[in-house]
Amino acid sequence: MSDNTFLWQGQPIAFTAGESIAAALTAAGIMNFGPDMAGRDTRYFCGIGACQGCLVQVDGRLTESCLTPASAGLQVTNAGGTHG
Amino acid sequence: MAEVIIIGGGPAGLSAAGTLAKAGIASTLLEQRATLGGAIHRQPVGSAKPVSVSTAARHRFERLMQGIATPLVRLRVSTTFLGIDGDGCMLTESRTDGTVAALKADAVILATGAVEKIRPVPGWDLPGVSTAGGLQVMLKETSTPPKGRILLAGNGPLLIALAAQMIRAGNPPLMIVEAGNPLAHPVAAFGLLAHTTLLREATGYTLDVLRSGIPWKRGACLTGITARDDALEATILHADGRTEIVAADRIALHDGIRENDIGLPAARNNGKPIILKAGDCRQALGVFAAVADGERAGSEAASLLRGNKAALTRFERRIDRQVAAQRLLAHIFAPALPLPPLSALPDDCTLCRCEGRTVGDLKALLTVKDGLSGREVKHNGRFAMGSCQGRFCAANTAALMAALRPDVPAPTLRDLTGQRWPVRPVSIAALIGAASNETTNDHEVRS
Ligand SMILES: Cc1cc2nc3c(=O)[nH]c(=O)nc-3n(C[C@H](O)[C@H](O)[C@H](O)COP(=O)(O)OP(=O)(O)OC[C@H]3O[C@@H](n4cnc5c(N)ncnc54)[C@H](O)[C@@H]3O)c2cc1C
Ligand code: FES
Repeated sequence: MSDNTFLWQGQPIAFTAGESIAAALTAAGIMNFGPDMAGRDTRYFCGIGACQGCLVQVDGRLTESCLTPASAGLQVTNAGGTHG
Repeated sequence: MAEVIIIGGGPAGLSAAGTLAKAGIASTLLEQRATLGGAIHRQPVGSAKPVSVSTAARHRFERLMQGIATPLVRLRVSTTFLGIDGDGCMLTESRTDGTVAALKADAVILATGAVEKIRPVPGWDLPGVSTAGGLQVMLKETSTPPKGRILLAGNGPLLIALAAQMIRAGNPPLMIVEAGNPLAHPVAAFGLLAHTTLLREATGYTLDVLRSGIPWKRGACLTGITARDDALEATILHADGRTEIVAADRIALHDGIRENDIGLPAARNNGKPIILKAGDCRQALGVFAAVADGERAGSEAASLLRGNKAALTRFERRIDRQVAAQRLLAHIFAPALPLPPLSALPDDCTLCRCEGRTVGDLKALLTVKDGLSGREVKHNGRFAMGSCQGRFCAANTAALMAALRPDVPAPTLRDLTGQRWPVRPVSIAALIGAASNETTNDHEVRS
Protein backbone atom coordinates (compact mmCIF):
# COMPACT_ATOMS: atom_id res chain seq x y z
CA MET A 1 0.00 0.00 0.00
CA SER A 2 1.36 3.42 -0.88
CA ASP A 3 1.72 5.92 1.93
CA ASN A 4 -0.92 8.34 0.68
CA THR A 5 -3.90 6.08 0.20
CA PHE A 6 -6.52 4.54 2.45
CA LEU A 7 -9.01 1.84 1.57
CA TRP A 8 -12.65 2.72 0.90
CA GLN A 9 -14.79 -0.41 0.56
CA GLY A 10 -11.54 -2.19 -0.30
CA GLN A 11 -10.49 0.29 -3.04
CA PRO A 12 -7.45 2.59 -2.62
CA ILE A 13 -8.31 6.30 -2.37
CA ALA A 14 -5.57 8.93 -2.61
CA PHE A 15 -5.50 11.79 -0.13
CA THR A 16 -3.36 14.83 0.61
CA ALA A 17 -1.88 15.35 4.08
CA GLY A 18 -4.37 16.49 6.70
CA GLU A 19 -7.40 16.21 4.43
CA SER A 20 -10.58 14.69 5.94
CA ILE A 21 -11.82 11.29 4.77
CA ALA A 22 -14.91 13.07 3.38
CA ALA A 23 -12.73 15.50 1.37
CA ALA A 24 -10.66 12.64 -0.08
CA LEU A 25 -13.76 10.64 -1.05
CA THR A 26 -15.28 13.78 -2.61
CA ALA A 27 -12.09 14.49 -4.58
CA ALA A 28 -12.31 10.90 -5.87
CA GLY A 29 -15.85 11.65 -7.11
CA ILE A 30 -17.59 9.62 -4.39
CA MET A 31 -20.63 11.53 -3.08
CA ASN A 32 -22.66 8.65 -1.71
CA PHE A 33 -20.98 7.17 1.36
CA GLY A 34 -23.23 4.10 1.32
CA PRO A 35 -25.99 2.90 3.62
CA ASP A 36 -26.02 3.53 7.38
CA MET A 37 -27.31 1.04 9.96
CA ALA A 38 -30.90 1.80 8.92
CA GLY A 39 -30.11 1.43 5.21
CA ARG A 40 -30.32 5.16 4.42
CA ASP A 41 -27.60 6.71 2.27
CA THR A 42 -25.00 8.75 4.10
CA ARG A 43 -23.25 11.73 2.51
CA TYR A 44 -21.24 14.83 3.31
CA PHE A 45 -23.53 17.66 4.42
CA CYS A 46 -22.61 20.15 7.18
CA GLY A 47 -18.84 19.60 7.35
CA ILE A 48 -18.66 20.41 11.08
CA GLY A 49 -19.78 17.29 12.91
CA ALA A 50 -23.31 18.60 13.49
CA CYS A 51 -25.53 16.56 11.14
CA GLN A 52 -24.11 13.03 11.62
CA GLY A 53 -25.01 12.42 7.98
CA CYS A 54 -21.47 11.49 6.91
CA LEU A 55 -20.87 8.58 9.28
CA VAL A 56 -18.51 5.84 8.10
CA GLN A 57 -16.60 3.08 9.86
CA VAL A 58 -12.89 3.70 10.22
CA ASP A 59 -11.02 0.55 11.23
CA GLY A 60 -14.33 -0.71 12.59
CA ARG A 61 -15.21 2.41 14.60
CA LEU A 62 -18.22 4.57 13.61
CA THR A 63 -17.13 8.19 13.10
CA GLU A 64 -17.83 11.40 11.16
CA SER A 65 -15.86 11.37 7.90
CA CYS A 66 -15.91 15.19 7.84
CA LEU A 67 -13.96 15.44 11.11
CA THR A 68 -11.59 12.51 10.70
CA PRO A 69 -8.31 13.18 8.89
CA ALA A 70 -7.39 10.54 6.31
CA SER A 71 -4.26 8.56 7.05
CA ALA A 72 -2.35 5.86 5.24
CA GLY A 73 -3.70 2.36 5.41
CA LEU A 74 -7.02 3.15 7.14
CA GLN A 75 -9.79 0.70 6.34
CA VAL A 76 -12.88 2.79 5.71
CA THR A 77 -16.27 1.20 5.03
CA ASN A 78 -19.84 2.45 4.98
CA ALA A 79 -21.62 2.94 8.29
CA GLY A 80 -23.96 0.03 7.68
CA GLY A 81 -21.02 -2.32 7.45
CA THR A 82 -21.94 -3.73 4.04
CA HIS A 83 -19.09 -4.40 1.64
CA GLY A 84 -18.98 -4.05 -2.09
CA MET B 1 -5.48 26.63 41.20
CA ALA B 2 -8.82 26.99 39.42
CA GLU B 3 -9.47 24.72 36.44
CA VAL B 4 -11.23 26.31 33.51
CA ILE B 5 -12.20 24.31 30.44
CA ILE B 6 -13.12 26.02 27.19
CA ILE B 7 -14.97 24.13 24.46
CA GLY B 8 -14.33 25.27 20.89
CA GLY B 9 -11.27 26.73 19.19
CA GLY B 10 -13.06 29.42 17.16
CA PRO B 11 -12.78 33.18 17.77
CA ALA B 12 -14.93 33.06 20.93
CA GLY B 13 -13.04 30.18 22.58
CA LEU B 14 -9.63 31.59 21.62
CA SER B 15 -10.44 35.06 22.94
CA ALA B 16 -11.85 33.59 26.18
CA ALA B 17 -8.65 31.58 26.73
CA GLY B 18 -6.47 34.61 25.96
CA THR B 19 -8.48 36.83 28.33
CA LEU B 20 -8.21 34.31 31.17
CA ALA B 21 -4.45 33.99 30.59
CA LYS B 22 -4.08 37.78 30.80
CA ALA B 23 -5.82 37.59 34.16
CA GLY B 24 -3.31 34.90 35.22
CA ILE B 25 -5.81 32.03 35.06
CA ALA B 26 -4.90 28.75 33.37
CA SER B 27 -7.33 27.01 31.05
CA THR B 28 -7.63 23.94 28.84
CA LEU B 29 -9.03 24.58 25.35
CA LEU B 30 -10.76 21.63 23.68
CA GLU B 31 -11.37 21.54 19.93
CA GLN B 32 -12.86 18.62 18.02
CA ARG B 33 -10.98 19.31 14.79
CA ALA B 34 -7.23 18.91 14.39
CA THR B 35 -6.83 22.66 13.81
CA LEU B 36 -7.98 25.86 15.52
CA GLY B 37 -9.79 28.79 13.90
CA GLY B 38 -13.48 27.87 13.87
CA ALA B 39 -15.93 28.67 11.07
CA ILE B 40 -14.38 31.90 9.88
CA HIS B 41 -10.65 31.34 10.48
CA ARG B 42 -10.63 27.73 9.34
CA GLN B 43 -7.02 26.86 8.55
CA PRO B 44 -5.62 24.97 5.56
CA VAL B 45 -4.52 21.43 6.37
CA GLY B 46 -1.20 19.80 5.47
CA SER B 47 0.58 21.73 2.74
CA ALA B 48 -2.58 23.34 1.31
CA LYS B 49 -2.27 27.07 0.65
CA PRO B 50 -4.53 29.33 2.71
CA VAL B 51 -7.46 30.90 0.85
CA SER B 52 -6.96 34.64 0.48
CA VAL B 53 -8.44 36.60 3.38
CA SER B 54 -8.62 40.31 4.14
CA THR B 55 -5.78 41.94 6.08
CA ALA B 56 -8.20 42.71 8.92
CA ALA B 57 -9.16 39.04 9.17
CA ARG B 58 -5.53 37.90 9.10
CA HIS B 59 -4.58 40.33 11.87
CA ARG B 60 -7.56 39.29 13.99
CA PHE B 61 -6.54 35.63 13.84
CA GLU B 62 -2.89 36.45 14.57
CA ARG B 63 -3.96 38.43 17.64
CA LEU B 64 -6.16 35.57 18.87
CA MET B 65 -3.32 33.04 18.41
CA GLN B 66 -0.83 35.33 20.20
CA GLY B 67 -3.26 35.49 23.11
CA ILE B 68 -3.12 31.73 23.63
CA ALA B 69 0.65 31.36 23.03
CA THR B 70 1.32 31.01 26.75
CA PRO B 71 1.84 28.00 29.03
CA LEU B 72 -1.36 29.12 30.81
CA VAL B 73 -3.40 27.81 27.85
CA ARG B 74 -3.26 24.04 27.32
CA LEU B 75 -4.56 22.82 23.99
CA ARG B 76 -6.39 19.61 23.36
CA VAL B 77 -7.30 19.34 19.71
CA SER B 78 -9.06 16.32 18.13
CA THR B 79 -11.12 16.13 21.33
CA THR B 80 -14.93 16.33 21.35
CA PHE B 81 -16.88 17.59 24.35
CA LEU B 82 -19.79 15.22 25.01
CA GLY B 83 -21.56 16.73 28.00
CA ILE B 84 -21.50 17.23 31.75
CA ASP B 85 -22.51 14.21 33.83
CA GLY B 86 -24.55 14.17 37.04
CA ASP B 87 -21.39 14.64 39.14
CA GLY B 88 -20.42 17.78 37.21
CA CYS B 89 -17.63 15.98 35.33
CA MET B 90 -16.91 17.05 31.77
CA LEU B 91 -16.96 14.07 29.45
CA THR B 92 -14.70 14.28 26.42
CA GLU B 93 -13.94 11.87 23.63
CA SER B 94 -10.63 11.52 21.85
CA ARG B 95 -11.20 11.61 18.10
CA THR B 96 -8.00 9.66 17.54
CA ASP B 97 -8.78 6.55 19.59
CA GLY B 98 -12.40 6.93 20.72
CA THR B 99 -11.60 6.86 24.44
CA VAL B 100 -13.80 8.92 26.75
CA ALA B 101 -12.30 10.89 29.65
CA ALA B 102 -13.94 12.67 32.58
CA LEU B 103 -12.38 16.04 33.47
CA LYS B 104 -13.02 18.18 36.53
CA ALA B 105 -13.47 21.91 36.20
CA ASP B 106 -14.41 24.91 38.33
CA ALA B 107 -15.70 26.78 35.30
CA VAL B 108 -16.62 25.84 31.75
CA ILE B 109 -16.94 28.18 28.79
CA LEU B 110 -18.94 26.72 25.91
CA ALA B 111 -18.00 28.24 22.56
CA THR B 112 -19.26 25.69 20.04
CA GLY B 113 -20.28 28.19 17.35
CA ALA B 114 -23.26 28.08 15.02
CA VAL B 115 -24.97 25.62 12.68
CA GLU B 116 -26.65 26.48 9.41
CA LYS B 117 -30.39 26.62 8.96
CA ILE B 118 -31.63 24.59 6.00
CA ARG B 119 -35.16 24.88 4.62
CA PRO B 120 -36.29 21.42 3.60
CA VAL B 121 -37.09 20.91 -0.10
CA PRO B 122 -37.65 17.58 -1.87
CA GLY B 123 -34.18 16.10 -2.43
CA TRP B 124 -32.28 18.21 0.15
CA ASP B 125 -30.91 14.99 1.62
CA LEU B 126 -29.49 13.56 -1.64
CA PRO B 127 -25.76 12.80 -1.93
CA GLY B 128 -24.11 15.76 -3.69
CA VAL B 129 -26.25 18.27 -1.78
CA SER B 130 -24.48 19.86 1.18
CA THR B 131 -24.70 23.03 3.19
CA ALA B 132 -22.85 26.08 1.83
CA GLY B 133 -20.76 26.04 5.00
CA GLY B 134 -19.89 22.40 4.32
CA LEU B 135 -18.63 23.34 0.87
CA GLN B 136 -16.67 26.21 2.41
CA VAL B 137 -15.01 23.89 4.97
CA MET B 138 -13.54 21.75 2.18
CA LEU B 139 -12.50 24.83 0.18
CA LYS B 140 -10.73 26.43 3.15
CA GLU B 141 -9.08 23.23 4.39
CA THR B 142 -7.86 21.90 1.04
CA SER B 143 -7.62 25.23 -0.85
CA THR B 144 -9.09 23.37 -3.83
CA PRO B 145 -12.43 24.60 -5.14
CA PRO B 146 -15.23 22.02 -5.39
CA LYS B 147 -15.18 20.42 -8.86
CA GLY B 148 -17.87 20.59 -11.53
CA ARG B 149 -21.01 22.70 -11.84
CA ILE B 150 -21.91 24.05 -8.40
CA LEU B 151 -25.24 25.69 -7.63
CA LEU B 152 -25.55 27.85 -4.47
CA ALA B 153 -29.07 28.44 -3.18
CA GLY B 154 -30.85 29.86 -0.18
CA ASN B 155 -30.62 33.08 1.75
CA GLY B 156 -28.03 35.28 3.40
CA PRO B 157 -24.59 36.85 3.03
CA LEU B 158 -22.70 33.54 3.26
CA LEU B 159 -23.80 32.62 -0.28
CA ILE B 160 -21.99 35.54 -1.93
CA ALA B 161 -19.03 35.19 0.45
CA LEU B 162 -18.65 31.57 -0.65
CA ALA B 163 -19.20 32.51 -4.31
CA ALA B 164 -16.42 35.12 -4.08
CA GLN B 165 -14.08 32.58 -2.48
CA MET B 166 -14.88 30.05 -5.23
CA ILE B 167 -14.19 32.67 -7.92
CA ARG B 168 -10.78 33.40 -6.38
CA ALA B 169 -10.05 29.68 -6.04
CA GLY B 170 -10.71 29.16 -9.76
CA ASN B 171 -14.14 27.50 -10.05
CA PRO B 172 -16.98 30.05 -9.90
CA PRO B 173 -20.41 28.68 -9.08
CA LEU B 174 -22.83 28.02 -11.92
CA MET B 175 -25.52 30.24 -10.39
CA ILE B 176 -26.46 31.84 -7.07
CA VAL B 177 -30.14 31.63 -6.12
CA GLU B 178 -30.88 34.17 -3.37
CA ALA B 179 -34.29 34.67 -1.74
CA GLY B 180 -33.49 38.25 -0.80
CA ASN B 181 -32.65 41.18 -3.03
CA PRO B 182 -29.81 42.94 -1.19
CA LEU B 183 -29.29 45.44 -4.04
CA ALA B 184 -32.82 46.75 -3.50
CA HIS B 185 -31.99 48.22 -0.07
CA PRO B 186 -29.54 51.07 -0.69
CA VAL B 187 -30.86 53.07 2.25
CA ALA B 188 -30.44 50.23 4.73
CA ALA B 189 -27.04 49.39 3.23
CA PHE B 190 -26.08 53.00 4.00
CA GLY B 191 -26.48 52.08 7.68
CA LEU B 192 -23.60 49.64 7.28
CA LEU B 193 -21.31 52.67 6.94
CA ALA B 194 -21.22 52.61 10.73
CA HIS B 195 -19.68 49.14 10.52
CA THR B 196 -16.63 49.76 8.34
CA THR B 197 -15.00 46.33 8.31
CA LEU B 198 -18.29 44.54 7.72
CA LEU B 199 -19.19 46.96 4.91
CA ARG B 200 -15.77 46.57 3.27
CA GLU B 201 -16.08 42.75 3.25
CA ALA B 202 -19.68 42.77 2.04
CA THR B 203 -18.87 45.26 -0.74
CA GLY B 204 -15.84 43.23 -1.79
CA TYR B 205 -17.88 40.03 -2.11
CA THR B 206 -20.72 41.79 -3.93
CA LEU B 207 -18.37 43.43 -6.46
CA ASP B 208 -16.54 40.12 -7.07
CA VAL B 209 -19.86 38.43 -7.80
CA LEU B 210 -21.16 41.25 -10.02
CA ARG B 211 -17.88 41.49 -11.97
CA SER B 212 -17.71 37.73 -12.53
CA GLY B 213 -20.98 37.76 -14.46
CA ILE B 214 -22.24 34.67 -12.60
CA PRO B 215 -26.05 34.62 -12.74
CA TRP B 216 -27.06 36.00 -9.31
CA LYS B 217 -30.80 35.31 -9.17
CA ARG B 218 -32.25 37.52 -6.47
CA GLY B 219 -35.78 37.12 -5.15
CA ALA B 220 -35.65 33.49 -6.33
CA CYS B 221 -35.75 30.16 -4.53
CA LEU B 222 -34.91 26.53 -5.10
CA THR B 223 -38.02 24.37 -4.73
CA GLY B 224 -36.76 20.85 -5.33
CA ILE B 225 -33.84 18.63 -6.31
CA THR B 226 -33.89 15.32 -8.17
CA ALA B 227 -31.06 12.97 -9.08
CA ARG B 228 -30.77 12.26 -12.80
CA ASP B 229 -28.04 10.07 -14.28
CA ASP B 230 -24.87 11.27 -12.63
CA ALA B 231 -26.10 14.78 -11.94
CA LEU B 232 -28.63 16.72 -9.89
CA GLU B 233 -31.48 18.78 -11.28
CA ALA B 234 -32.72 21.76 -9.33
CA THR B 235 -36.04 23.47 -9.89
CA ILE B 236 -35.69 27.23 -9.48
CA LEU B 237 -38.66 29.56 -8.97
CA HIS B 238 -37.63 32.98 -10.27
CA ALA B 239 -38.81 36.38 -9.03
CA ASP B 240 -41.04 36.78 -12.11
CA GLY B 241 -42.85 33.49 -11.43
CA ARG B 242 -40.99 31.49 -14.09
CA THR B 243 -39.60 28.09 -13.16
CA GLU B 244 -36.33 26.81 -14.55
CA ILE B 245 -34.58 23.44 -14.30
CA VAL B 246 -30.83 23.74 -13.73
CA ALA B 247 -28.48 20.74 -13.94
CA ALA B 248 -25.57 20.77 -11.48
CA ASP B 249 -22.99 18.35 -10.12
CA ARG B 250 -23.28 19.65 -6.58
CA ILE B 251 -25.75 21.89 -4.80
CA ALA B 252 -25.03 23.90 -1.65
CA LEU B 253 -27.94 25.13 0.48
CA HIS B 254 -27.91 27.78 3.21
CA ASP B 255 -30.69 29.70 4.96
CA GLY B 256 -28.80 31.55 7.67
CA ILE B 257 -27.21 30.37 10.91
CA ARG B 258 -28.40 29.57 14.41
CA GLU B 259 -26.82 28.81 17.77
CA ASN B 260 -25.19 25.36 17.96
CA ASP B 261 -26.48 24.80 21.48
CA ILE B 262 -28.56 21.64 21.18
CA GLY B 263 -27.48 19.12 23.81
CA LEU B 264 -25.46 21.71 25.73
CA PRO B 265 -26.12 22.31 29.44
CA ALA B 266 -27.80 25.59 30.46
CA ALA B 267 -25.59 28.49 31.58
CA ARG B 268 -25.31 29.13 35.35
CA ASN B 269 -23.08 31.46 37.34
CA ASN B 270 -22.88 29.38 40.47
CA GLY B 271 -22.42 25.70 41.28
CA LYS B 272 -19.59 23.49 40.17
CA PRO B 273 -18.75 23.90 37.44
CA ILE B 274 -19.86 27.43 36.59
CA ILE B 275 -21.14 27.27 33.00
CA LEU B 276 -20.86 30.22 30.61
CA LYS B 277 -21.59 30.43 26.88
CA ALA B 278 -19.70 32.61 24.45
CA GLY B 279 -19.83 33.56 20.79
CA ASP B 280 -22.22 32.20 18.18
CA CYS B 281 -23.39 29.36 20.46
CA ARG B 282 -24.83 31.97 22.88
CA GLN B 283 -26.18 34.20 20.13
CA ALA B 284 -25.27 33.87 16.46
CA LEU B 285 -23.91 37.36 15.72
CA GLY B 286 -20.78 36.77 13.65
CA VAL B 287 -17.10 37.13 14.30
CA PHE B 288 -16.82 40.62 15.84
CA ALA B 289 -19.36 39.74 18.50
CA ALA B 290 -17.71 36.33 19.01
CA VAL B 291 -14.36 37.95 19.87
CA ALA B 292 -15.99 40.47 22.25
CA ASP B 293 -18.16 37.79 23.82
CA GLY B 294 -15.14 35.52 24.38
CA GLU B 295 -13.46 38.39 26.25
CA ARG B 296 -16.68 38.96 28.18
CA ALA B 297 -16.94 35.29 29.18
CA GLY B 298 -13.23 35.13 30.10
CA SER B 299 -13.55 38.22 32.32
CA GLU B 300 -16.79 36.97 33.84
CA ALA B 301 -15.27 33.56 34.64
CA ALA B 302 -12.20 35.22 36.20
CA SER B 303 -14.40 37.41 38.41
CA LEU B 304 -16.70 34.57 39.44
CA LEU B 305 -13.73 32.39 40.38
CA ARG B 306 -12.16 35.19 42.41
CA GLY B 307 -15.43 36.26 43.96
CA ASN B 308 -15.23 39.86 42.73
CA LYS B 309 -17.63 41.81 40.60
CA ALA B 310 -17.05 41.78 36.88
CA ALA B 311 -17.12 44.98 34.81
CA LEU B 312 -18.76 43.77 31.63
CA THR B 313 -20.37 46.90 30.21
CA ARG B 314 -17.62 47.62 27.69
CA PHE B 315 -17.96 44.14 26.17
CA GLU B 316 -21.73 44.38 26.17
CA ARG B 317 -21.53 47.64 24.27
CA ARG B 318 -19.41 45.99 21.53
CA ILE B 319 -21.84 43.07 21.35
CA ASP B 320 -24.86 45.41 21.11
CA ARG B 321 -23.26 47.08 18.09
CA GLN B 322 -23.11 43.70 16.38
CA VAL B 323 -26.75 42.99 17.25
CA ALA B 324 -27.55 46.20 15.35
CA ALA B 325 -25.30 45.22 12.42
CA GLN B 326 -26.89 41.76 12.16
CA ARG B 327 -30.37 43.30 12.26
CA LEU B 328 -29.39 45.53 9.35
CA LEU B 329 -28.01 42.57 7.39
CA ALA B 330 -31.18 40.58 8.06
CA HIS B 331 -33.22 43.49 6.72
CA ILE B 332 -31.05 43.81 3.59
CA PHE B 333 -31.30 40.06 2.92
CA ALA B 334 -34.99 39.64 3.86
CA PRO B 335 -36.71 37.38 1.29
CA ALA B 336 -38.07 39.60 -1.50
CA LEU B 337 -41.17 37.43 -1.90
CA PRO B 338 -42.78 35.08 0.64
CA LEU B 339 -41.07 31.67 0.37
CA PRO B 340 -43.31 28.67 -0.40
CA PRO B 341 -44.78 27.57 2.96
CA LEU B 342 -43.53 24.34 4.55
CA SER B 343 -47.13 23.08 4.50
CA ALA B 344 -46.97 23.03 0.68
CA LEU B 345 -44.13 20.46 0.71
CA PRO B 346 -45.07 17.08 -0.82
CA ASP B 347 -45.68 14.23 1.63
CA ASP B 348 -42.56 12.32 0.61
CA CYS B 349 -40.19 15.23 1.36
CA THR B 350 -37.75 14.28 4.15
CA LEU B 351 -38.00 16.40 7.30
CA CYS B 352 -35.78 14.40 9.65
CA ARG B 353 -33.00 12.61 7.77
CA CYS B 354 -31.49 10.63 10.66
CA GLU B 355 -34.75 8.80 11.32
CA GLY B 356 -36.05 8.96 7.74
CA ARG B 357 -39.22 10.88 8.74
CA THR B 358 -41.18 12.74 6.09
CA VAL B 359 -43.73 15.55 5.87
CA GLY B 360 -46.39 12.85 5.35
CA ASP B 361 -45.30 11.03 8.55
CA LEU B 362 -45.74 14.26 10.53
CA LYS B 363 -49.16 14.94 9.01
CA ALA B 364 -50.24 11.38 9.90
CA LEU B 365 -49.10 11.84 13.52
CA LEU B 366 -51.04 15.07 13.86
CA THR B 367 -54.34 13.52 12.73
CA VAL B 368 -54.58 11.74 16.11
CA LYS B 369 -57.47 13.12 18.17
CA ASP B 370 -56.41 16.32 19.99
CA GLY B 371 -53.07 16.08 18.20
CA LEU B 372 -49.72 15.33 19.77
CA SER B 373 -47.43 17.69 21.66
CA GLY B 374 -43.86 18.46 20.56
CA ARG B 375 -42.53 15.87 23.02
CA GLU B 376 -44.96 13.23 21.76
CA VAL B 377 -44.05 13.95 18.15
CA LYS B 378 -40.46 13.34 19.18
CA HIS B 379 -41.07 10.17 21.18
CA ASN B 380 -43.94 8.57 19.24
CA GLY B 381 -42.92 9.82 15.82
CA ARG B 382 -39.15 9.70 16.24
CA PHE B 383 -38.79 13.23 14.86
CA ALA B 384 -35.58 14.86 16.17
CA MET B 385 -34.69 11.54 17.83
CA GLY B 386 -31.79 10.65 15.57
CA SER B 387 -28.08 11.11 15.93
CA CYS B 388 -28.02 14.81 14.91
CA GLN B 389 -30.34 15.45 17.87
CA GLY B 390 -32.65 17.58 15.76
CA ARG B 391 -30.04 20.20 14.83
CA PHE B 392 -31.32 20.23 11.26
CA CYS B 393 -34.95 19.12 11.61
CA ALA B 394 -36.35 20.27 14.97
CA ALA B 395 -37.00 23.90 14.00
CA ASN B 396 -38.53 22.89 10.65
CA THR B 397 -40.69 20.22 12.32
CA ALA B 398 -41.88 22.72 14.96
CA ALA B 399 -42.66 25.32 12.25
CA LEU B 400 -44.59 22.81 10.16
CA MET B 401 -46.54 21.62 13.24
CA ALA B 402 -47.49 25.23 13.95
CA ALA B 403 -48.59 25.75 10.32
CA LEU B 404 -50.65 22.55 10.25
CA ARG B 405 -52.36 23.27 13.58
CA PRO B 406 -52.85 27.02 13.80
CA ASP B 407 -55.37 26.58 16.66
CA VAL B 408 -52.94 24.76 19.03
CA PRO B 409 -50.06 26.55 20.85
CA ALA B 410 -46.97 26.22 18.66
CA PRO B 411 -44.28 23.83 19.95
CA THR B 412 -40.81 25.26 20.54
CA LEU B 413 -37.57 23.86 19.22
CA ARG B 414 -36.72 22.81 22.80
CA ASP B 415 -39.98 20.81 23.05
CA LEU B 416 -38.62 18.67 20.26
CA THR B 417 -34.95 18.47 21.15
CA GLY B 418 -35.12 18.50 24.96
CA GLN B 419 -31.85 19.01 26.86
CA ARG B 420 -29.95 15.90 25.97
CA TRP B 421 -26.35 14.96 26.14
CA PRO B 422 -24.05 13.55 24.82
CA VAL B 423 -23.89 16.10 22.01
CA ARG B 424 -23.03 13.22 19.70
CA PRO B 425 -23.68 9.48 20.02
CA VAL B 426 -20.99 7.65 21.92
CA SER B 427 -20.65 3.96 22.70
CA ILE B 428 -21.77 2.78 26.13
CA ALA B 429 -18.49 0.85 26.38
CA ALA B 430 -16.49 4.08 26.00
CA LEU B 431 -18.60 5.81 28.66
CA ILE B 432 -18.09 2.94 31.09
CA GLY B 433 -14.37 3.11 30.31
CA ALA B 434 -14.38 6.80 31.34
CA ALA B 435 -15.96 6.03 34.69
CA SER B 436 -13.09 3.72 35.58
CA ASN B 437 -10.35 5.99 34.23
CA GLU B 438 -8.44 8.36 36.41
CA THR B 439 -9.58 11.92 35.85
CA THR B 440 -6.72 14.16 34.95
CA ASN B 441 -6.55 17.40 33.01
CA ASP B 442 -2.79 17.40 32.68
CA HIS B 443 -1.83 16.08 29.31
CA GLU B 444 -1.85 18.20 26.23
CA VAL B 445 -2.81 17.08 22.72
CA ARG B 446 -1.43 19.23 19.91
CA SER B 447 -2.20 17.08 16.88
C1 LIG C 1 -20.77 27.80 7.73
C2 LIG C 1 -20.51 29.11 8.38
C3 LIG C 1 -19.83 30.10 7.68
C4 LIG C 1 -19.60 31.33 8.26
N1 LIG C 1 -18.95 32.30 7.55
C5 LIG C 1 -18.77 33.52 8.12
C6 LIG C 1 -18.16 34.57 7.43
O1 LIG C 1 -17.77 34.40 6.26
N2 LIG C 1 -18.01 35.78 8.07
C7 LIG C 1 -18.44 35.98 9.37
O2 LIG C 1 -18.28 37.07 9.94
N3 LIG C 1 -19.00 34.99 10.03
C8 LIG C 1 -19.20 33.78 9.44
N4 LIG C 1 -19.83 32.81 10.13
C9 LIG C 1 -20.25 33.08 11.48
C10 LIG C 1 -19.13 32.54 12.32
O3 LIG C 1 -19.64 31.43 12.97
C11 LIG C 1 -18.57 33.58 13.27
O4 LIG C 1 -18.09 34.66 12.59
C12 LIG C 1 -17.43 33.06 14.15
O5 LIG C 1 -16.68 32.05 13.51
C13 LIG C 1 -18.05 32.58 15.41
O6 LIG C 1 -17.06 32.23 16.30
P1 LIG C 1 -17.32 31.16 17.44
O7 LIG C 1 -16.02 31.02 18.13
O8 LIG C 1 -18.51 31.56 18.20
O9 LIG C 1 -17.71 29.82 16.67
P2 LIG C 1 -16.91 28.95 15.61
O10 LIG C 1 -15.96 29.76 14.85
O11 LIG C 1 -17.91 28.17 14.86
O12 LIG C 1 -16.07 27.94 16.51
C14 LIG C 1 -16.65 26.88 17.23
C15 LIG C 1 -15.60 25.80 17.39
O13 LIG C 1 -16.08 24.82 18.32
C16 LIG C 1 -15.77 23.55 17.85
N5 LIG C 1 -16.73 22.63 18.44
C17 LIG C 1 -18.08 22.58 18.22
N6 LIG C 1 -18.66 21.63 18.96
C18 LIG C 1 -17.66 21.04 19.67
C19 LIG C 1 -17.63 19.99 20.62
N7 LIG C 1 -18.76 19.34 21.01
N8 LIG C 1 -16.43 19.64 21.15
C20 LIG C 1 -15.28 20.29 20.77
N9 LIG C 1 -15.25 21.29 19.88
C21 LIG C 1 -16.43 21.67 19.35
C22 LIG C 1 -15.86 23.67 16.36
O14 LIG C 1 -15.12 22.65 15.71
C23 LIG C 1 -15.31 25.05 16.10
O15 LIG C 1 -13.93 25.06 15.87
C24 LIG C 1 -20.04 31.55 9.57
C25 LIG C 1 -20.71 30.54 10.26
C26 LIG C 1 -20.95 29.33 9.69
C27 LIG C 1 -21.67 28.26 10.45
S1 FES D 1 -21.02 16.26 7.34
FE1 FES D 1 -22.32 16.72 9.02
S2 FES D 1 -21.37 15.54 10.58
FE2 FES D 1 -20.03 15.26 8.93
